[in-house]
Amino acid sequence: MVQLRPRVSRTPASASAMVDEGQPASEEEAEHGLLLGQPSSGAAAEPLQDDEEGDSEFDEDEAPEELTFASAQAEAREEERRVRETVRRDKALLKEKRKRREELFIEQKKRKLLPDTVLEKLTTAPQTTIKKSPGKLKEVILQKKNEECEKGSDSKKTKEKVQKVQSVGHNKSYLAVRLKDQDLRDSRQEAAKAFIQNCLYGPGTNRTTVNKFLSLDNKRLPVKKAAAQFLNNAWGKIQLLALIILYTKCYFVRRW
Amino acid sequence: MGEFKVHRVRFFNYVPSGIRCVAYNNQSNRLAVSRTDGTVEIYNLSANYFQEKFFPGHESRATEALCWAKGQRLFSAGLNGEIIEYDLQALNIKYAMDAFGGPIWSMAASPSGSQLLAGCEDGSVKLFQITPDKIQFERNFDRQKSRILSLSWRPSGTHIAAGSIDYISVFDVKSGSAIHKMLVDRQYMGVSKRKCIIWGVAFLSDGTVISVDSAGKVQFWDSATGTLVKNHLVANADVQSIAVSDQEDSFVVGTAEGTVFHFQLVSVTSNSSEKQWVRTKPFQHHTHDVRAVAHSPTALISGGTDTHLVIRPLMEKVEVKNYDAALRKITFPHRRLISCSKKKQLLLFQFAHHLELWQLGSTVATGKNGDTLPLSKDADHLLHLKTKGPENIICSCISPCGSWIAYSTASRFFLYRLSYERDNISLQRVSKMPAFLRSALQILFSEDSAKLFVASNQGSLHIIRLLEGSFKHLHTFQPQSGTVESMCLLAVSPDGNWLAASGTSAGVHVYNVKNLKLHCTVPAYNFPVTALAIAPSTNNLVIAHSDQQVFEYSIPDKQYTEWSRTIQKQGFHHLWLQRDTPITHISFHLKRPMHILLHDAYMFCIIDKSLPLPNDKTLLYNPLPPKNESDVIRRRTAHAFKISKIYKISLSTVSRFPRTT
Repeated sequence: MVQLRPRVSRTPASASAMVDEGQPASEEEAEHGLLLGQPSSGAAAEPLQDDEEGDSEFDEDEAPEELTFASAQAEAREEERRVRETVRRDKALLKEKRKRREELFIEQKKRKLLPDTVLEKLTTAPQTTIKKSPGKLKEVILQKKNEECEKGSDSKKTKEKVQKVQSVGHNKSYLAVRLKDQDLRDSRQEAAKAFIQNCLYGPGTNRTTVNKFLSLDNKRLPVKKAAAQFLNNAWGKIQLLALIILYTKCYFVRRW
Repeated sequence: MGEFKVHRVRFFNYVPSGIRCVAYNNQSNRLAVSRTDGTVEIYNLSANYFQEKFFPGHESRATEALCWAKGQRLFSAGLNGEIIEYDLQALNIKYAMDAFGGPIWSMAASPSGSQLLAGCEDGSVKLFQITPDKIQFERNFDRQKSRILSLSWRPSGTHIAAGSIDYISVFDVKSGSAIHKMLVDRQYMGVSKRKCIIWGVAFLSDGTVISVDSAGKVQFWDSATGTLVKNHLVANADVQSIAVSDQEDSFVVGTAEGTVFHFQLVSVTSNSSEKQWVRTKPFQHHTHDVRAVAHSPTALISGGTDTHLVIRPLMEKVEVKNYDAALRKITFPHRRLISCSKKKQLLLFQFAHHLELWQLGSTVATGKNGDTLPLSKDADHLLHLKTKGPENIICSCISPCGSWIAYSTASRFFLYRLSYERDNISLQRVSKMPAFLRSALQILFSEDSAKLFVASNQGSLHIIRLLEGSFKHLHTFQPQSGTVESMCLLAVSPDGNWLAASGTSAGVHVYNVKNLKLHCTVPAYNFPVTALAIAPSTNNLVIAHSDQQVFEYSIPDKQYTEWSRTIQKQGFHHLWLQRDTPITHISFHLKRPMHILLHDAYMFCIIDKSLPLPNDKTLLYNPLPPKNESDVIRRRTAHAFKISKIYKISLSTVSRFPRTT
């Protein structure tokens, strides 16, 4: 690996610098020729100086060490091992973390599961695993008790059992549907109703309430009067239709 | 002292629901009307515009489209994503099929009547095949970006126009692909931020597509090239509906301002063959949005948020210019929504989702004929009974003694026992109703409140004996074999021996309750029955039909009475026959067997059978002659029909309470 020496900038030195250099450099001038007015030589002088300095540093250093091949190899191997170790440790830590999170999720899910009785029914249904199921049931009951006793401290084993119970019971002769999934249909219907409501009565449609319509005149008079107010809320919708007929379409056009 | 004390009840807050869709069927001249609460009503336009059938509503059913298919089959689709077929004989819903496209915004039946198209929320247009007993999904057309709000078939069945938001697509039926996408301006001559919603499209057989949108424009497009041909700005608000006549020479559009415009194809000059569409007549019969219009061969039909159904016959299409050519506005229900308990002076009001029980006020004052007496005790709201579940109430009844209330929805029957202790009223539900009582069309209690008669929509009549806290099923009269005719009206004689039931088309059946057998059948008449009642002592059955004819039939003699024959021979007064609204209730005077009391929405009439009948020349609505006229003149002008029009818009029953002190 070659270490590059920092390059010296080849900017021309200022006149003052040159003047300054001039005097102390006068001694060197004799060695290196006329420097005044010859910036290149001035610039050129420096690397020479640097070179000299660099060389002098190297000269001051000792000779490079001699490394045997074996030691270098050993070192390299050591390095590699260390790196491998760290990678392995990292992986293990990550795995541990992931596992813990998974267990936490399963525990939360189990809390939201159907009650035990329904789970029992689901697990006892398949005929091929009849022999196993009582055992599983016991495990399920045990799990519940365990959970109640210790909140997930001894979680690994029970969680695995829970997983097994869940996987058993895929009997295709019945269908269990979650009511939550049915919400999709209602939400679409609600969205459709909201769309229609927005189209017909939302902002931008030239509609107003009967109350506002009848109060308009009162509020535009030079002497403002009170707004119309209905005693019975249902009135405004039906009984005043007759009054609305009196106000024709062109009134609306004028208004808006 | 006047003869009757009239309780003028104005606390029945009946609010009808707005009309959302209207569909006209040409073959049977019937109109299907769907309201915002999910009720579907069928009006028979040739039977004097009488509402002969109805399907009760449901809260989750937000119907957006209604159409007739081949063979008198009625389909509706709504925002719950289901296509529903209605059984017009049994008056219930045959099935509801999910279209799996989200909320359905529009539906159209093909011109041949064998296919059904549904436009969904997700932008897909789905084609269904109509099989004899169900519908079957066939395929999807090309999916569009936004929801399909309107659909129309070309009369030849080869193309479809689908209106969406800001554009109209023309599809080819065979391939299912969109041929043209026509972009609609958001505003006539301008720019707007609000999206333009194409509320209706109509496809004519020459390839013209007519579209109406929320900017108030009616536009004519050429579907072959996908270009705009003509633009009409008709309103400042949305134009929400369009209907084209079968001959394609006129169409009608309804706007959000309540105006209905009639467009006609007229020739440019008097003898040129070139024709153009011209806006001819505006009609302002509505006050709010006109959300549905239909075009029958002779009339324009419109309905909207203001709940009126307006039928406007077109003068040039009507052959005989008689009363039939006048404007018809159907506002009030054609069925009874109120029942009354005579003994306790209670009224039961039926609403869509609840029942109200009121006690009538009383007065101790006396006065002359025509006086208004002050109330000493106000009317009292006793009970507010809400129904469980999303379904609407079909029918309800209170027993004459006031201790039983029964009502029915489409899937359940409820019977309650009321008890009155001093000032309190308590309600107890009779549980475990039998399964056959599920969906009743009409409920009636006998005069002694011991028996309950239920007409179910399968055509059978059930008789139930009511005991102290429970009931016992006595008998069921099955319908005649071959017909599933649902019984719509019931009447029971005051002595409890006879029960009369009428369906929609067959004659009125009279059953003997004591022997539990069919006694006789009144011959069928070609107009539906609107009201039935049996007189107290003579056991005469009085039937009112939708063409305003009134018949009297003697049950013990099994024939029409003399009076009935006389009036049929002479005919009713022409003004009587020209009344708009059907007679909804008939009642009798306890002490005067010669009187028949009946009413419709605008008048109350007492027919005195002992007086001479009016002929066409006499005045029908004659008020009482002044007292100083001589007796002879009074006798000459008096006739059998004594009509009072003071009590307008009567929805209520008319009953004669026994005179208490």
